[in-house]
Amino acid sequence: MSLGIKFILKSVAGLVLLLLTGSLLAGCDAVKERPKMRIGYMNCNSEAETRARFGPLNEYLSQKLGIDFELVSVDTQEFAERFHKGEFDFTHTNSLLYIILREQKNLRLLATEKRGQYGPRTAGTLISRKDSGIKTLADLKGKYLLFGPQLAPSGFLAQYDLMLQAGINPEQDLAYYGIPRGSFKHEKVVYGVYFGKYDVAAAPALDLELMIRDGKITADDFNIIAQSEIFPYCTFGAARQIPDELAEKFRMLLLDLTPESTVTYQSETVKVLDSAWIDGFAQLEDADYDPIRRMAKNANMPPYQEF
Amino acid sequence: MFRDFFDRAHWFALGGLVIALFYLLFFSPVDGSTVRKQDKRLELVLQEKARIAFLLETYAPVEELAAAGNRAAALLKLEELERDFPGEAHASILRGSLLLEQGAIAEGIAAYVLGVRQNGDYIDARSLLGRHREITALVEAELPLIKVRVEKSPNSRTWNEALNNIYYLQSRLAGGCE
Repeated sequence: MSLGIKFILKSVAGLVLLLLTGSLLAGCDAVKERPKMRIGYMNCNSEAETRARFGPLNEYLSQKLGIDFELVSVDTQEFAERFHKGEFDFTHTNSLLYIILREQKNLRLLATEKRGQYGPRTAGTLISRKDSGIKTLADLKGKYLLFGPQLAPSGFLAQYDLMLQAGINPEQDLAYYGIPRGSFKHEKVVYGVYFGKYDVAAAPALDLELMIRDGKITADDFNIIAQSEIFPYCTFGAARQIPDELAEKFRMLLLDLTPESTVTYQSETVKVLDSAWIDGFAQLEDADYDPIRRMAKNANMPPYQEF
Repeated sequence: MFRDFFDRAHWFALGGLVIALFYLLFFSPVDGSTVRKQDKRLELVLQEKARIAFLLETYAPVEELAAAGNRAAALLKLEELERDFPGEAHASILRGSLLLEQGAIAEGIAAYVLGVRQNGDYIDARSLLGRHREITALVEAELPLIKVRVEKSPNSRTWNEALNNIYYLQSRLAGGCE
């Protein structure tokens, strides 16, 4: 091989090496530049369900905002404490947790999830079996009642408040009340009454609606003893240190989501709202959460609890 | 041709037949197309009456629960009926009424809009299904309140959508169409 050809080959090899190194470094820089943030998602039933539901939405937000959002599934009872430690930049919680974080850490309201007939709102109901003869709040005295999780606005707080308003103290006037163990508590309370283990259940209006839609129960199976006023459903919030511009972009992305919005997630194209079991998002105001504030005060629950 | 009585009788009968046909064709008191139109009109009226009777009977449990003040149960019953008759305009109108009564204003108005879009009879004052008076009262009561909400939060997409929806109902009440 002549010296000239050797020189050309070496030059080409050197150039290729230089280009490869350059592109790799540029790639590293691009990854480095993409900020990382964490979104805390309150577990409704289980961690696996939370990840499956919100994975695509989380990815959608990451792609649209150019931020690597880490999906953190959080137990309801631990949420406030972990938020106080600064673990999350954005939050997805029920409306009671929103109030707690708002009062304690000035959480910013972004958007409220729409699901079911009441849209971005829901309600708590007290139900009994149709053949039980339990039809009014006055009939609850001395009965066995099954609540949902303690920090559930439509599975505990609303019903507790309903009873207090009717002059029934759940701590004294019921024969017994309990909360089911494990996941899928809302369905468990409905079945607890359906199969006659308990007299009365504190069921979210949305869960009754969904179970009827799925054909698991019928509307004629139960008496609706009482239903609370309506109040906001699950809510996205932003920590106070998040810049206004980013928080607003985050909000607009949620509000712009339609049933046709898709994202590539784990090599599949999926519908964002469908995956998350959400109909859409609404823009409510903090004052719209006042019914929850009133209920929490009346039931002596956080963030207004007094000992 | 006219050789015997038999020939003449034939020609006479043929002439009579032609005259009768002309008469039937141009001077008959009831022509075929009128009969067909009457049949079709009758059929439509019967269909409409049957549809109204069916809807009123099917959704009677919802109306009864609502009348007894049990709006939550009425909404659940409506959800159950949705399984059998998805996208029925009558259900949308009933849902609108129930949601408004429970304070879900924007969703109630959206349900009325959906019902009217599905079947214009609900905005028609002459229709047996018409909810003209009810929708007029809704527009009169809610339009000023929603305007205030929009003025207070001009960037609120939720209230701007509600305002557009109520303007739609107002325009349909005024006789506008899709």
